[in-house]
Order: sequence, then structure tokens, then C-alpha cells
Amino acid sequence: MQRACHPLTARRRGHGPVGASLTWLLQCVLPLLMGLQVSVAGAQPPQSVRVHAAQAVVSDSVSFPAAPAPQVVDLPDDWSLSRPGSNGPVWYRVGFTAPGLAERGELLALYIEHVCTNLEVYLNGQLLHRGGRMHEPITQNCNHPQLISLPAGLITEGTNALDIKVVGHALARVSSRQRAGGLSALDIGPLSVLEPVYARQRALNVTVPQAVSATLLLMGSFMFVLGWMNRRESHLAYFGALSVGWAIVESRLWLRDLPIDNAVSELLLCAMLPLLAMACIQFLLRYAQYRSRLLDIALPLQCLVVPASLLLAGPERLNLLASFWYAMLALQTLAAAAFYLRTQYHSRTRSFWPMALLLGIACVALLVEYLSQHLGVRSPWSHVARIATPVMMVLVGLRLLQQQGRALQVAEQSNAQLEQRIREATTEIERNFAQLAELRVEKVTERERKRIAADLHDDLGAKLLTIVHTSESERISTLAREALEEMRLSVRGLTGKPVQLIDALGDWRAEVVSRLRQAGIEADWQTPADELTQTLSARAFVQTTRILRESVSNVIKHSSATHCSVGCSIVDGDLQVVVHDNGKGIPMEVDGRLDRGHGMSSMKQRAKQLQGQCLVESGPGYGTVIRLTLPLNRATEAA
Amino acid sequence: MMNILLLEDLPQIRAWLSSLVMQVFPGAQIAEAARVHDALGLVSAIKFDLALVDLGLPDGSGVDVVTALREHQPETQSVVVTIHDDDEHLFPALQAGAFGYILKEQARELIVEQLQRISQGEPPLSPSIARRVMAYFTAKAKPQAASPSTMPLVSLTDRETEVLLRVAKGYTLPEIGLQLSLSRHTIADYVKQIYRKLNVSSRAEAALEAQRMGLFGR
Repeated sequence: MQRACHPLTARRRGHGPVGASLTWLLQCVLPLLMGLQVSVAGAQPPQSVRVHAAQAVVSDSVSFPAAPAPQVVDLPDDWSLSRPGSNGPVWYRVGFTAPGLAERGELLALYIEHVCTNLEVYLNGQLLHRGGRMHEPITQNCNHPQLISLPAGLITEGTNALDIKVVGHALARVSSRQRAGGLSALDIGPLSVLEPVYARQRALNVTVPQAVSATLLLMGSFMFVLGWMNRRESHLAYFGALSVGWAIVESRLWLRDLPIDNAVSELLLCAMLPLLAMACIQFLLRYAQYRSRLLDIALPLQCLVVPASLLLAGPERLNLLASFWYAMLALQTLAAAAFYLRTQYHSRTRSFWPMALLLGIACVALLVEYLSQHLGVRSPWSHVARIATPVMMVLVGLRLLQQQGRALQVAEQSNAQLEQRIREATTEIERNFAQLAELRVEKVTERERKRIAADLHDDLGAKLLTIVHTSESERISTLAREALEEMRLSVRGLTGKPVQLIDALGDWRAEVVSRLRQAGIEADWQTPADELTQTLSARAFVQTTRILRESVSNVIKHSSATHCSVGCSIVDGDLQVVVHDNGKGIPMEVDGRLDRGHGMSSMKQRAKQLQGQCLVESGPGYGTVIRLTLPLNRATEAA
Repeated sequence: MMNILLLEDLPQIRAWLSSLVMQVFPGAQIAEAARVHDALGLVSAIKFDLALVDLGLPDGSGVDVVTALREHQPETQSVVVTIHDDDEHLFPALQAGAFGYILKEQARELIVEQLQRISQGEPPLSPSIARRVMAYFTAKAKPQAASPSTMPLVSLTDRETEVLLRVAKGYTLPEIGLQLSLSRHTIADYVKQIYRKLNVSSRAEAALEAQRMGLFGR
């Protein structure tokens, strides 16, 4: 009232390349209604006008109060400076004229960059806009720019009164200056001009934090699960918790309506911060492979102490205490970051520089944010800083994921190698086991055969030997001697290994020739001259030895021969042994068959067992021919 | 007067062998033993000219007695008397120093003849034993670079190898003598030499083995 015309300045705002020299005539309407008035429309192209001053009065009335008398305040009006401790509501009034508006048909609008906490807008006494609940819990509009279109029908040709009722909280009651009550400068102008400005600001203030929240929430929960599943990667869980916590804190920027009072929501927000700090510190320490018992206890304790202290201090000292805790937590986090970087630097890991860069940017961003909050410095940098921190977190998260992925890859590779090795080892073991089992069977069989052989020699052999040398009868002695030889051969068939055919021929020759010579019979032995590589099974060797021995015995005992030739040859893969004497031959039985007493049938039987045959030809003056044919390969197999 | 050791566990066979020995060496002093233990006791007490040793005995193998004789009475001729005709049983005894072997179940006349031949330095050699001896020396001839200096290299001459080869093919010693235009005594000398070398080489090998064990045991 007592105020005279207040000198106001208005800065133009718009798109057109309009000369800055153009000044706007501001009309001061002195006494009653309007404290301030601007003209927003003229002959020029559409422009907007920024209002830097307004009449203001603290009152909870439903309309701009008639009393007490309003004061003229500068805009932006920061309550913590203009009316410390006040929680509003505050009425603001601005007058403006918009001449010639109707002709151009332009729609006017009011743009408010920042109003905290909530507002109502009246034009010429008519309610135009209400940002939400005006009573506790008050809708949180601090971070939401406001664009209110001014209906042309309400705008008069004369001076228009724009009333704004703002409710908010004193700085002391909130933890962040951003949420302290206040009103920024107002922009009045064409909607088409102000809308892009509004859209840009809204994107910056609301959409970006929403996106950041969503991203951090997603990434954080993913990392948390990853870290939770694998306790050795606990740093991932802490990083996830940090991300999720940050997302929640960030949501305070765009979440408007909470069903709780400001005091409670501020307290909860402050309680979140030590948790975030704990997550961040633990992440950094664990990431640096360091674990401290003390911190494991101290940090959760701090999470209890912080909200408790705030609760004790009461809402009026919230800001003060919160600032203190901010600083403390920031210092702790910085110390952890420094510790982490130091260990990384000392261990000379390749991830030092990228991580140092990311952490450095995040710290600077935090510092800028801190300064802008607590020193009241409002600059575009604070926006950048506010975005930079979560972006750095996302980058760190990606880096962690990359490491995790690589570790997984390495683990898979080593797993595959391990599996391969296990497979090889298993095969080896199985093979060894099979060999061992085979060996053991062979060994046991061999041992058993040796035992039987030894028993035969020791018992049967000794008895037969006694008979040989004590019997009065030469016939019995001979029989016993033959039995002994038979027994020895049997033992050999039992225990013997396959015999080289050439060795067998040597043994047979030695026996046959010396026996025939001893009997005074001329012996002639013929064997193939070429190298023989065939083998005989022990059984085949023994049986053939018996047949040969029998033949020679027959020659010696019955034939009265003076000459005997033995020829061994290989015919079509068969071993052929021909024993030919010049004796009197074998007498015929009555039925025309050869005498069986000469052991012919047993010889034939033995040859048959070896899949061979034994033919006996005899005739007077011709002697006897015994033809033994053994299939070599089959005789070999018949082990 | 001749001192003869007779080691045989079967009393009847021992008696029979004793009478046989008396027939070949009239007036000889025969010390009889039925067990390895007794025989070893006799070896340490009496000096023998000839020893007839059975292999399978109740308290061990006659090979031990052959070894002891070779050790303490190198002049003694050890002859294995056995019913085992296979080289598995005979070869160790020959390695230990036995000079020939006789199969017990043969007719008296045959054994007498063989005993006489052995005592005259004509030990028998079967094809399988010959093969075994050849295999033994062939394996040793293969490069054993580790110990050429420590082991006295005993190897067969070409002639000895030739004789062994022919025995292995089943030729009798007289036949080989004819084939090589050598006298019966020369062939017998080769065989004796083969027996001796087998024993010397085996003993050297055993000594080396003992030395090696000692080194490891340290």
C-alpha cells in the first residue's frame, strides 16, 4: 500500500531474433489490486515476459487476502531467505496486461520453473489450476515445472491479476534445499513459446530421473540376485543394493503423491542414505577383496543411529542434522573409494584407470550436488551432476557385468577342460581296471595251474617214479614211465604258453631221432627249410607230441624196421607230419581193419580233437605210413 | 676216494640212486640227505667231488644247494636229478652252476650212461634249454649302456652260438659234430663252456643286482 511504483525489469524470452534493445513498458498500477503489472502482448511477434517481482502475503485464506498488506518480493522467492522458518502458505500476486490479445487469438500461459511444494493459480479471482493436495500430505511438486494455460475468456483488456497460492515447508523441516518452500520467477507469454521450455524442463526434472530410477532398479535387482546367488561375489549384491537404493531415493524427484506426511517421508529418505552409504562402502571394499569385521558391524549400526538421531532431534532440526550426516556419509564413501583405488593401483590391475575415472566423476557430481543443495547455488551443473552419478553407476554396473561374464566364460572353459580331463581319467581308470581284472584272472589261473602242476609232480610224479624204479616187472616199469611222461605232457598242456612251431620241431626232432637211434633204427628227419612263423597252442603241441611219440614207439616196438623217416611240411596252411618206416607193417584183423592194439585209435582221436586227421597206411613189404594233418591256424586257436 | 652228495627226499628213489652211483663210481663215499637243510650242513662239513641234487624238496629248492656248492666248493660238479624236464625248472639250476641234469624216470642204463658222460665232461643239452640259453645271452647282448664297466661282459663265441642254434633245432651233439666237422670232445667242450658262461654271467648279474639293492637300501 505504502509502496510506490516499484521499478521492475522484464527480460524477454522467446524464439524470434528480436532485438534486445526492445524494451517493454511495464505498467505500475499503484494502489489497490495490482502491485505489479506487465504487458505481455503487443504489436510484436509473440514473446514471453519473465516476472522478477511479485506482491506477497502470508495467509491461508481462500483468495488473495485483503489484509495484511502485501509486500513486494523479488522472484525467485526463497522462503529460507525471505521468511525463514515459515511454512506458508504464501499468496503471490502479479498484474499483467495483454493488449490486442483477442485480435491475434493467441493463447497465453503461465510457466513456473520451480515451485515448492505445491500451488494454486487464480486468474482474476478464478481458480485455474491446483497442483494436487494443498494440505498434508502435500503433493510434492518441487521438481515438477508448471505450465498453466490462461484462458482467453478470463483475460481482460485491462490489467489482469494473477494470484498464486504456494504451500511448502521451511528449510529446517526438509533434508534438501530442493524441497524447501519457495517460488521461482514466473514466465507469462504465449503458450506456443512456453510449451517447449516447459517440455525441456520437465524432461530434465522428471523424465530423466524416472528413466534413471527404472534403469537402476532393473540393473540393481539383477546384480543383487546375481551377488546373492554367489556369495563369493558379494560385492555384486552390495552394488545391486546401492543401485536399488539410489533408484528409490531418485524416485523422490518425480514421485508426487505419497500417503505420508512430509516429516515422515523426509525421515524415511534420510534413513535411506546410511543404507546407501553402507552398500557403496561395502561394495568398494569387497570389490577390492577386503573385508572388515568392524565395518560389517559399524555400518549397519550407523543405519540405525542416523534415523534415531533424526527422530530425537525432531522435525525442526532435520535439515541441520541431515546436512551433518550427509557430510559424514559422503566422507566415508570417499574414503572407501580412495581405499579401493589405492589397492587397485598397487595391484596394478588394468581396471584401475576406468574405475578411477568413473569414481572420480561420480565424486565430483556428488560434490556439485552437495554444494548446490547446501549452499543454495542453483546452476545447470547441478542438473548435470544429478544425472552424472547414476550414469556412472550404470557404467560401473556394466563393467561388473562384463567382468562377471568373462569370469563365467573362463569358468565354463575350465569346467569343460575339467570335464574332458575327468572323462579321460575315467576312461583310463576303466581301461586300467579292465586290464587289472584280466591280469588278475590270468594270474589266478596261472597260479592255480602251477599249483596243480606242482601237486601232480610231487605226488603223482613221485609215486610213478617209485613204481618205475622199484617194480619187478619191466612192463609195469615201462607203463609207469610212460604214465610219467604223459603226466608231464599234461602239465605242460595245462601251464604252457603257445609254442613257436620251429621250436616244437626242434623238440620233436631231438626226441624222435635220439629214441630211434637208441633203438638202432636209422632216422631221417626232414623239415621245411624256410623260416616258420606259425605258433602252436600248448594243447596242440602236447597232442602232436603224443601222436609222434606213439608212432615212434610203434615203430620201435612192433615194426622191426631198420629205417624210419619223419617229414614235417606245411601244406596249404596245414601242418603235415608223415612217419614212414620200412618195417613189416601192421597185421590186419579178421574184419579187414588195422589192429587197434597199436594205439591207432587214440592217435586218431587226438588228431580229431585238433580238427585234423591221422591216416595210417600199411602193407606187407611196404612198411607203415602214418599221415598226420593238422590245420595250423585252428590248432593254434584251440588253446 | 670220491665223495658224493646225494640229495633226494624219496627214500626208495634215494636208495635206488645210491646203488646206481655205486655202480658208476665203485668205492665212492656217498653222503645222503633228504632235505635242503641237511644237504647244506653236509656241504659245509665235507668236500664233495660230485653232487646229485633233486630240485623239488620238502623244505625248499635244490637250487640253493647248487648255489652253496658253487660258492664254497667250486670244484664240485653239481648234477640236477629231477622229474622236471622243462626249462622253467632246469634253467635256474643251470644258472646257479649245475653241470647238467638227469631225468629220474629214465631207465637205469640210460642214467648210468648219462652220469658217466657228465662226469667225463659231457653234459646233456636239450633244445628247450639251448633256446633258453640263447635268449638269455641275446637279451644281455642288447645295449645295456648303464653298466658296461661294472659288469664283466660274458658273451658266447660264434661257434658256441652255432652249436646252441643247432641243438635248438633238434640236432644231437654227435650230429652237430659231424655237421661242423668237429670231434665229439670239441663239441662237448663247447657245451661245457656254454654251461660255465651261463653260470659266470648269472653270478655277475646277481652280484650287480645285490650291489644295486645295497645302493638303494642305503
